[in-house]
Amino acid sequence: MPVLEALLPRVLAVRRIPGADPALLRAYGADPERHRSLGLITVDQDDPTYVALDEATKHARVDVVYARSFYAGSKHQSGPLSGEILGVIASDDPSEIDSALDAILQTLAHDACFYGANADSSIAVFPHVIASLGHYLSAQAGLRPGEPMAYLVAPPLEGTLALDFALKSADVRLLKAFPPPTETNFTAAWLAGDLPACEAAAMAYAEAVVDVARQPRDR
Amino acid sequence: MSLRPLSRTRDLVAQLRRQLGEDDPMPPRAPLPPVELPPQRVFPSPSRRSRLADLAAAHTTALVGIGSVGTRYATDVVLQFQAELAVAHGAVATELPEEWAVAQGYVSLGSRVTSHREFLLRPDLGRRLAPESAERWAATCRKEVDVQPILADGLSAVATQGAGPALMSAFIAECEKRGFSTGTPVCARHARVWLEDEIGELARAKVAVILLGERPGLGTGDGLSAYLVYGPKVGNTDGQRNMMSNIHNRGTPPVDAARRLAVMAQLMLEQKTSGVHLDLSPRAAELGEAARGGYRAPQVRTRLVEG
Repeated sequence: MPVLEALLPRVLAVRRIPGADPALLRAYGADPERHRSLGLITVDQDDPTYVALDEATKHARVDVVYARSFYAGSKHQSGPLSGEILGVIASDDPSEIDSALDAILQTLAHDACFYGANADSSIAVFPHVIASLGHYLSAQAGLRPGEPMAYLVAPPLEGTLALDFALKSADVRLLKAFPPPTETNFTAAWLAGDLPACEAAAMAYAEAVVDVARQPRDR
Repeated sequence: MSLRPLSRTRDLVAQLRRQLGEDDPMPPRAPLPPVELPPQRVFPSPSRRSRLADLAAAHTTALVGIGSVGTRYATDVVLQFQAELAVAHGAVATELPEEWAVAQGYVSLGSRVTSHREFLLRPDLGRRLAPESAERWAATCRKEVDVQPILADGLSAVATQGAGPALMSAFIAECEKRGFSTGTPVCARHARVWLEDEIGELARAKVAVILLGERPGLGTGDGLSAYLVYGPKVGNTDGQRNMMSNIHNRGTPPVDAARRLAVMAQLMLEQKTSGVHLDLSPRAAELGEAARGGYRAPQVRTRLVEG
């Protein structure tokens, strides 16, 4: 029975606004003094998209001004193009938006994705290692841009047990835990340490989720 | 193996699968479809070239009569186009170094623009002198002159730094040969055409001439334009200006341009007007094609890509 199959995120909509209205810019957290153009993207997986948005800040002069997950996730979306997250990037230059969107699509296609923790992939785990943070997630996590971070997501019980295992398996510290229920009803955690420690922690996390999936009850 | 950037996390997960005793490996990445070799270079054969397109091509530098391969351009046409566009982009992106004007022996002035980006986005700011520059210019310049020559960066600092000084000194020499008094040679940074009005007005010049890098076209990042106005004052419009474009070695060479500009200035001083009211016919012979309205002979295209 294959486990840990990659579940590739699907990009549902990507649109650009070269010259956005100042009122819209303000409403979505941008600064009309510094930003003029927006890039909008919806994807059916939220956490890979947060990683991809962060990656984009390393490729182009953009700010991630808005990124929020939708309630109960992509299985309960408001429309076929809604997915699980809306990400909004802003810049003063429309061509920076283009470069950033290229980086986002590249990351979603080839790097960040959930994996199935059981045979039919109905249990999903996101044991992602960011080797070098951009300025979006680094600001959220309280780290410096360029530092590594483990970005871990799993369903509630699996994620809780796996986080304990990950913390004990490597020399990492817990930056931020997101206990359930979150918007998508998953649980998440961000861990800091050097790169090998982050990698070891992420893999321990995935292993523990697979273990719970195989044996949900120990009594 | 794939040529895509590696994903560390995906590789780690693949390792973990092996540790967990997965007997089947991760599904192999989809093989890249075989890439066909490009076809032999295909050019439209002479017999299939349009005679009318050839005739038209003799009269313009526009891309006409370049043929097609199926519904597309031939590769060398696309490469040539991209190379020419790159030259134009490069020229617009170049900034005139701040110390350049002084090193050339010019008075250095600046417009109200504070950055190169702002210069590109705000033409209005590039048309007025910064208060500091205006004060300094008013205090030090030669006043009540016939012709005020101004060099400026405009949209191609490459052109200004290239043929700019030569055109400037040739033009001043031509003016002096005709007995006009010329103003202090000045070089303005981040300047638009209309800046000549303020500079000329402060010097109380009869004619102001601004020589500046012109908006690059395909393959010409080194062209200068000259704009002349009689009675420079802030608020003049383009209808009151005469201009000469394509001053570079493949168009009008700077030496010829300097002479024709001096002739134009002479006409302005004689007729006390410029722009649409100026009659160029009295000296049409000296002006050459500059007297003939908008028409100019097509220039030779430089091949940037080896065919």
